Amino acid sequence: MSALIVAIVAIPIVAAILSLVLRSRIGSAVTAIAGVATALCIFATVVTTADGHSTLDALSSLFLIPVAIVYGTVGIYGTWYVRAESIGADGDERYRREFLALTNAFACAEAVVPLLTNMAGLWVALEVTTILAALLVRLQGTEASLEAAWKYILIASCGLAIGLVGVVVLYASGTSVLGAHYAPNWATYIAMAGKLNGDVLRLAFLLALIGFGTKMGLAPMHTWLPDAHGAGPTPTSAMLSGVLLSDALYVITRFASIANRAFGPSMTQHLFFIVGLLSLFVGAFFLLRQRDIKRMLAYSSIEHMGIVACGLAFGVRFAVVGALLHVVNHSATKALAFFGAGRLAARFGTREIDGISGGVAVMPISGTLFALAGLALAGMPPFGTFRSELMILTGGFSSSAWPIAAVMLALLLVAFCGLVRWTMGVTVGPMPEGMSRGERDLGAIGSMLLIFVAVLGLGLVVPAHLAVLLNRASDIVGGHP
Amino acid sequence: MTELTVPEAFAGTIAALLLLVQLQLFRSVVISEFIRVYAVQAWLVAAICLGVGITEGGWDLIVLAALTLLFKGILLPRYMQSLARGISARIELPARINVLLSLLIAGALIGISILTSVQLPLHQGAFLPKADLATALSMVFIGFLVAILRPNALAQVVAFLTLEDGLFFGTITLAPGLPFVIGILLLIDVLVAVVVFAVLVRALVERQAAASVTVFQRLQG
Repeated sequence: MSALIVAIVAIPIVAAILSLVLRSRIGSAVTAIAGVATALCIFATVVTTADGHSTLDALSSLFLIPVAIVYGTVGIYGTWYVRAESIGADGDERYRREFLALTNAFACAEAVVPLLTNMAGLWVALEVTTILAALLVRLQGTEASLEAAWKYILIASCGLAIGLVGVVVLYASGTSVLGAHYAPNWATYIAMAGKLNGDVLRLAFLLALIGFGTKMGLAPMHTWLPDAHGAGPTPTSAMLSGVLLSDALYVITRFASIANRAFGPSMTQHLFFIVGLLSLFVGAFFLLRQRDIKRMLAYSSIEHMGIVACGLAFGVRFAVVGALLHVVNHSATKALAFFGAGRLAARFGTREIDGISGGVAVMPISGTLFALAGLALAGMPPFGTFRSELMILTGGFSSSAWPIAAVMLALLLVAFCGLVRWTMGVTVGPMPEGMSRGERDLGAIGSMLLIFVAVLGLGLVVPAHLAVLLNRASDIVGGHP
Repeated sequence: MTELTVPEAFAGTIAALLLLVQLQLFRSVVISEFIRVYAVQAWLVAAICLGVGITEGGWDLIVLAALTLLFKGILLPRYMQSLARGISARIELPARINVLLSLLIAGALIGISILTSVQLPLHQGAFLPKADLATALSMVFIGFLVAILRPNALAQVVAFLTLEDGLFFGTITLAPGLPFVIGILLLIDVLVAVVVFAVLVRALVERQAAASVTVFQRLQG
């Protein structure tokens, strides 16, 4: 294990311990530094993987990037958040320390998932993220946060239970070839995929898709997601949406690659189409009727996970690469949108969309960045999400499944209407009476500008190292590492 | 017809008892009964773990059986009984439908589990041929059903734990060679999950004495 990988795990753990014992003012600085340091280690790992000098494969490195983008900026944003928002019922020091410690621990757990290729270990790591996320969602102490945390841990744990049955069935399928005792590593399954029983593998993949798809927020297992993303602290919402969903997708892609290798992509593609289109449908139409700014973003996450699933389903290389790129684009854009929503909600004192207007006039930087994030989520150029959605659709229309690409395009238009309507509603317009103009919170603004560089930059150019990773990861998903 | 070996007969008996005990959750009316059902189930799971360990000669499974008995069979039920004491131990647990209908649905779920798993060639190296996956899936489905039909926070926690027992049973019988560390991690994971559940239950009880989750109707749409 390389020093970089050790650092990616160790830095957030040390930051979690320090945040718990030090005063929150120092703890928030420690969290910010830890986030940036971890991000730098991840980017260094990405470069070494692309150059062929890392023990990690391209898929692992690719799914580390959302951790770098979100954790790297959440820490900086948190320096404002712990001062501005009342975290506990009385906003006291204890709650702030708990928030910072749990945030660092949660980031660590999220980073561990893509580092693993042991199929059973992946399940354990995802379950740890569930426990930590439930504690974070509960932290604000409101009735809504309690309800959201309860639903989240119950539904996610039950989903993961099904995922574990998938892991056990996968393991049992290997005993006929490898004997009763073997390590359930992904590489082992890939090497012997041709000898595994197809029916057993089909069941394992189906169980994994349902189980881990629950964590990914795929419809119809998505019901926990709007509640948890809406009721949790804003940085937690960004980490849930930007990283945790992609972590769950990472596990599913590992299962999919084994299945694709064993009996071809037909079955995985059909299942991805079903859950993808259903998620797009649910996300797009529920977006139209939202009244809460964070729940609106949560439904947008369901929609975007649907886009990724459809991209994987098309099977065409261009679409699969687009889907994997969309994972990175979505994490950056959604984190920016949540940061902006948190800023607006704090200034206006409400999360109700009807209660927020003239966001750009009141908060020129945060309001503008939120508006741009909303447009990016809607798929407008020149942002990264536009590029990846275009790749998915182009791949889809060039494949035999072009009618599905047409349905997908129609649903994207519905989602576009919802997102643009609500985003413009809260940001455009005159400044409400009694509100003051301006913002001076350097931490929050700095983190948002930093993440905006990724949102815009990935639309303009895909860095060479990332392009290498995307192509190799696409091969892995297809079952041809 | 092939004759069952002694270990197979033992495992089959335990599997049947596990399902019968879990079905008790539909007719239990107070939370202390729920917790007793869970404790009995944990003892049965520890027994199957011990049986597989002795038959396969795996010391790790024998250690896991001892830990399961200690934590899941003794300490966890005691902790949960203390949590339930004074909250809703004597309050009759609500049920969304009657016992007969619940049992009929549970029977259908067991049937689906058997149909799903009986055709699969999963049994090489498995400890309980033909019934391992079916039992595990049935326990998972019944756990879901109990969580849906009994809208009480502690009842849902117990439902989740019995569901997890099904997973543990499946792991032990279907994949006895799965590394020891995974078994231990599973056990630790359950303990931590219960602590988190307990935190949430306490918070819920602070708001209303019955720990009913029917109040969770705010977040919709």
